Formats: sequence, structure tokens, C-alpha cells
Amino acid sequence: MKKNYILLIVLLLVGCIYPNLPFAYLTVGITVLLFSGWATSWNLLGGWAGQLSLGHASFVGLGAYFVALGASQFNLAPWWAILLAMLFAGILALLWGRLTFGLSGPYFSLSTIAIAEIFRLVAINEEWLTGGASGVFIDILPQPFGLDFFSKTTQYYLALFYAFLTIGITIYISGRKIGYQLRAVRDNEEAAMAAGINPLNVKLKAFVISAVLTSIGGGIYGIFLSFIEPHIIFNLLLSIQIALTVIIGGRGTIWGPAVGSLLLVVSGEIFRTTFAQANMLIYGVLILVVILVMPRGIVGEYSHKMIKRKYAKRA
Amino acid sequence: MIDYISLFQNLSNGILIGAVYALIGVGLTLVFGVMRTINFAHGDFVVMGMYLAVALNSAFGWDPYVALIFAVPLGFMLGAFIQKYILGRIIDAQPEAMMLATLGISLVGANTLFLIFGGEPQSVNVSYASSTVKLGDINISIVLLLAGSITFLVIGGLFYILNKTEIGRAIRATAENRIGAEIVGVNTKKIQAIVFGLGMALAFAAGVALIPVLFASPVTTGASFTLKAFVVTVLGGLGNIGAAVAGGLLLGIVEIFGASYLSSAYRDAYGLLAFLIVLLIKPEGLFGKTVKRV
Amino acid sequence: MQNALKAENITVKFGGLIAVNNISLSLSEGKILGLIGPNGAGKSTLFNAITGFTPIAAGKILFFGKDVTSQPSYVRTRSGMGRTFQTERPYEELTVLENVLVAAFLNHPKKKDAEEVAMFALAKVGLVDRTHQLSSDLNLARLRRLELAKALALEPKVLFLDEIMAGLNPPALKEMIEMIRGLTAGGISIVMVEHIMEAIIKLADHVIVLASGNKIAEGSATEVINDPQVIDAYLGTD
Repeated sequence: MKKNYILLIVLLLVGCIYPNLPFAYLTVGITVLLFSGWATSWNLLGGWAGQLSLGHASFVGLGAYFVALGASQFNLAPWWAILLAMLFAGILALLWGRLTFGLSGPYFSLSTIAIAEIFRLVAINEEWLTGGASGVFIDILPQPFGLDFFSKTTQYYLALFYAFLTIGITIYISGRKIGYQLRAVRDNEEAAMAAGINPLNVKLKAFVISAVLTSIGGGIYGIFLSFIEPHIIFNLLLSIQIALTVIIGGRGTIWGPAVGSLLLVVSGEIFRTTFAQANMLIYGVLILVVILVMPRGIVGEYSHKMIKRKYAKRA
Repeated sequence: MIDYISLFQNLSNGILIGAVYALIGVGLTLVFGVMRTINFAHGDFVVMGMYLAVALNSAFGWDPYVALIFAVPLGFMLGAFIQKYILGRIIDAQPEAMMLATLGISLVGANTLFLIFGGEPQSVNVSYASSTVKLGDINISIVLLLAGSITFLVIGGLFYILNKTEIGRAIRATAENRIGAEIVGVNTKKIQAIVFGLGMALAFAAGVALIPVLFASPVTTGASFTLKAFVVTVLGGLGNIGAAVAGGLLLGIVEIFGASYLSSAYRDAYGLLAFLIVLLIKPEGLFGKTVKRV
Repeated sequence: MQNALKAENITVKFGGLIAVNNISLSLSEGKILGLIGPNGAGKSTLFNAITGFTPIAAGKILFFGKDVTSQPSYVRTRSGMGRTFQTERPYEELTVLENVLVAAFLNHPKKKDAEEVAMFALAKVGLVDRTHQLSSDLNLARLRRLELAKALALEPKVLFLDEIMAGLNPPALKEMIEMIRGLTAGGISIVMVEHIMEAIIKLADHVIVLASGNKIAEGSATEVINDPQVIDAYLGTD
């Protein structure tokens, strides 16, 4: 437990140094950090509660739209917009989870796809609210303490803070009662019930936290893009990327989602320059590899081996 | 006075489009019935069929309906291959493993198509693309009619295979109870490969039937077809072929009517909403018997 | 003395089949109740019905005087029912200690306290040397003890054991019997479904015999074993 916190602080320091390096690509860095945050948030629901959501882009979109509309139409500062988005995301998750957690695995995932799709259609069509298909442009943002939100460096630090926040929360939860309850429900729901755990409640908690955290990243994403369009934000592909990133990196582990993000975003960038646009191919190939050969994901398999080895040494 | 003409026009369009949806849905539901897995790549298989028709058309000038002769067996073999060497390996893992594997196949398939054909939407122009046949005052598009006819033919063939042949019985046995079927001596591994092959063949057929009507674009079209296929099969009931047909027709009608009488922009949403409602209220589908609740 | 558990007229149906037919039983505090009967008699079904894992068609369940019939399984656990499962259900990705922690958290939300309770339970079943081993790596006998530890960590008032002696070799069996006997000294009441007669004879204060969903005999272990109806039921169906 303590080791995780130490690692987190070390990485935070590395992260702070990064922008000052000569070859630092800030955009890539921001993308890796945002993805790490989204993936880590998804992990709470998908890796710990065991519910595979393929619609998390909905929450990203909520964050982004609230910030964008807040800035362009309602004169609402981004931090208030994000808080509102968090509230909205939490309520949505509560209702959505209550309705759909009774569905078995694949059906739950299908329902998440459908709901995200509906969001996209609403965003495209309700022009009076969302600017429709032509999207929303953020041209002015407040400047608290002289901070320029349009500067890539500021956005980088926001993203760094976000990733740090989500991983920190995950580490915290993993040592508490709720963390154990989640994993118990995931591993054996009946046994968990026999241990006095209400599976629905536990899953709902995970969903709400996951949704709320994801929407924060969505808000930062909005600032980063400064131009929001429905098909970019409420994108099925984004939802799939988030889910696959976690599964490849290691579901149910603390660092798996971040490792997955680093791997996939960076290789995506490399791939993109040679095979433009087909960089989802990597995701497809990797997920097949993971499923066939290392089902627990990169960090998961490593962690599993380590636990076995550690025990064997003691015995 | 109700405008009967446009009512029937909408109805006939809905039924024909619905027939093709049904074809797509039947393939998916067949695979689900036997392998108990949702195939995320199904829509991409349809798109593969479309591109096959495009390729054959530009290379040899073949009419898509001629390409069917080639597409169906190719689809079957590819599907059987994929099942045998990839999906068959994980059949006993958690059910989500299968779903994720099909997602992987979908991504690999769609993006490979992208690498080969590029991102421009493509179609096949047939000379009779805009011709119609008149039934009283109603216009029925020839291509839609052909697509619908192919669907009915194919589904009829499928019914025949499932109900009147030895293999068909083995398939139904495996769908009902895999372990039970094994005990009785059915080679379920082979059956699963056959069924997945059939599913892919059906998808290819649907793709070929649709290419004169729609444009194929590798990355987005696949996903939207898959989603439609899900809607169809859930509405009708997963694993139930007759119900998939009914579901497809229903979806076609719901979409056309919704687009005509309500807002056409939300055309896709009606199916999705109906899908969600059915999923939540009657998860076995309107006709189905498989339980989806935990 | 209050009854720890009272089940009145429990009937469980599966479709048209009556699995448990109008059975009543009661358990006094600190005592051990044995539930025996040939395969398919309905023992496990009754067991599941009382602990809340199978719905009942009719009847009432009173736990220390309180009606828990409408409570879902996890609420009954919170009221004080702890159960083991016939087919072990470890949380496979978690270690032995973590498995028991999950249960310990029920009454102790703080990790430190929960850990103490968990270690105590593990000590009782003799698994302290394996706290950091992955539960999926345990052999059958140890998995069985882990099941017991998980139930004990709940600090239950009534412990429900589902065929916990099955498949144990003679030394392990002896150990388990001693373990169970030690539990009642602490004030726990026990309901045990069993096939292994030695355990019933040595442990049960009171025994109920089921056959084909009906109660066919009731009494002390020796009374029941020598009952001709009981002998018939076992010989007849086995």
C-alpha cells in the first residue's frame, strides 16, 4: 500500500519535470495523462466491480460539453462547469446503473453502447442546446491567477493533476472496505452476498465514482480541444479505446490502466505517422493477444506472478 | 382522411429494409444461440461482404448479385477458420472474454479494410439502381426488392437446413445444451465452427445485397450495422431465428415510420430506444426465451 | 431461553416440483442441529431457503425472535447468519487473508480492526501460515478451512455449515470435528447439513432427517440413526 503511494509521488515528480525536457511532446503527454485518468476511472467499474462499460465516452462528453457551453454560452467558469458535470454524471450513473445492473454481462455492455449513442444523437440534433453537429467553440476562458488555459503547459499540468487524482483515489479505495467489497463482488457474487454485501449497492457506488471522475477528465479534454463536436466526443471508438486500454494494461490492478494508456497512446502516435487512421488496428491485435495469452493484462499477469513468487519464497 | 398511399409506401419500404436488417440479425442470433456470445464483429463482416462486391465489381465488372455465389462460401470458410483458431480457444473462459475477442476481430477487420480500400465511401453502381416497380400507386425500388427477396430466400434456406437436415439437428441440439449434445456424440467444436461460418456467410450475403443501396465506409458502417443487428436480435429475442426476422421487420418499420411521422433526424434513435426499453422490461425479447437477467 | 432460529412450515417449490414440503425446525442457542437425509432429500434447498439464497413459497423464518422471511440473503448475514458453501467459493484473485478480510469488514469498517478479526479466524482454522497465498492455489482441505474462516470472520450468531466434512481424509475429519466443537463454547449456534455420520454423532445435539422433501424423523443422533424409517430412506434411495 505504502509502496503505491511512494510510486505515485515519484511519478508525479517525473511528470512535473517532463515538460522541461528538450524533446517533450506536450500533446502526447496530455493525451497519455488524460487516458490514464479515464482508464483508471473506468477500472473502478470495469476492473473492480466487473461491469464492462462500452459507453464511458458519455461521461467524457458531459464534462467537455459542460465546460464548452459554460464558456461560450453561459459565462460559467470551467471549474464550476466541471462541478456541474460531475453532479450530472453521478446522477446519470445512479439511474443508469439501477436500471441496467440486473442485466447479465454482454447485455449490460450493449446497453451502455446504446445510451452513449443516444447522447451523440441528442448532441447532434438539439442545436439550441449543444450547437448541433457544427459543435461548440471555446474562444474565451477565465484567467485565474494569470493562468492561461489555452497554453499547452497549463493543460498538461491539469491533466497531470487529473491522472494523479484518479490513481490516488484508486490506491486509497483499494485499502478500504469498499475496495474489498468491490473485488469480492467481482470474484464471486454469491459468496459476497453471504458475506453481507449488497452487490447492487456496491456496483452503484463504483459506477458513480467512475462516472464522476471520468467527467472531470472530460472537462479538461474540452479545454484541451477548445472545439467540441458530437462525433468526436460521444464517440463509440473512444469508449472502446478506454475499455481496451484497461483490459490490455490489466483490469483490477492499480497501475494497469496507466501502463496500458502509455503503451497504446504512444504506439498509436508512432503507428499514426505510418498508417494514418488505422491505429485502432493495434488495439484489435493487442486485445486478441491479451485474451488468448495473458487474460489478466500486462500488469495483472506480472502482479499475479509476483504474488506467487513472494509466497513461495516465504514458505 | 389517412393518407393510405403513403402509409402503404412507408410500410413496404419498412418491410424491405427490415428484411435486410433481419438477414443481418439472423446471422447474429444464430451465432448467439450456439455459442452464447455476442459477436461484435458481425457488422464488420457485413461491410466485408460489401467490399467484396465492390472489389469483384471493379476487377471483373461482376454484378453484385452474381458476386453472391462467390461471397457466401468465402464467408463460410473464413468464419469457420476464425472460430476454429481464435474463438474456439477461449470458449470456456468468462463470457466477456468471447465478447472482447470479437471486438478485437472487429477492430482488426475494419482497420485492415481501411488499409486496403482507403477511407472514401464506396459503392457499386448498377444500371437498375433507381428503377422501381409499381404496385398500384406505390413505388417499390428494384434493388430493395432484390435485397428483400434474397433475404427471404436465404432465411428460407436456413430454416430448411436447421429443421430438415442432420446437421441442422446437431446445431439445434448444441444451441439448447452444449454439454448434453456432446454427451450424445455431437462434435460441438465442429458445429460451432460451422455455425460461425454460417453467420459470416449470412453477413456477407447481406453486405452484397446492400451494396447497391448503401455506401460502404470501413470504420463507421460496421459498427452501425452491428448495433442494428443487436437491436434486431434483442427486440426479437436472442437465439430465436424466427423472432430475429420479426425483429428485423419491426425495426425497419419503426425506423421508417418514426422518420416519416416524427423527426427524421432521430431515425436511429427510435430503434435504440425501443431496444433499451425491451432490454429493461422484457429482456427475453418480444418472442424469445433466453434469459438475460442475472 | 430464546430460540436462536425457528423455521415454521417452510415450503420451497421449483416450478411444479415441491423440493421442501412444510418443514419446521428450531435451534436453541449454543446448540448444534444436524440436517441429514439421502441425496435429493431437500437438505441443501432448505438450508438455502433459511439463509436466503432460495425463495420460499410459504413459511416463516424467525431469527432470535425477529421475522427475517422477507430479508435478502445479505441482510440475513448482517443480522447474524453466517454460511459456508458446499462448493467452495473463494475470491480467486485475492489472497487467503484478503478473502477473510472481506467478511471481517462486515462488523469492522476500519481495516486495522478487520485485520485482527480476520487473523483470529484464520488462527482458529489453522491457516495463519498461508495468509499471503493466493486462494486459488489452495488444496481442497485448506479451501474448506478457508470457507469456514470466512464464515467465522462474520462473527455470526448462527453458523450454517453445508457438508463441510465431505471429502476429508480421517485426520482432517477429526481436526474439523474438534474445530466445530470448539466453536459452540464461544456461544455460536450451528446448523449443519451432513452426510458423514461420524460427525453428526459426535457433534449434533439434535437431528432432523429429510427424505424427498419431507421430515421423516427427529430426535437425538442415536435415536434417529436407529429409526427404521430412516434406515429405509437411506437404503431405499441409495
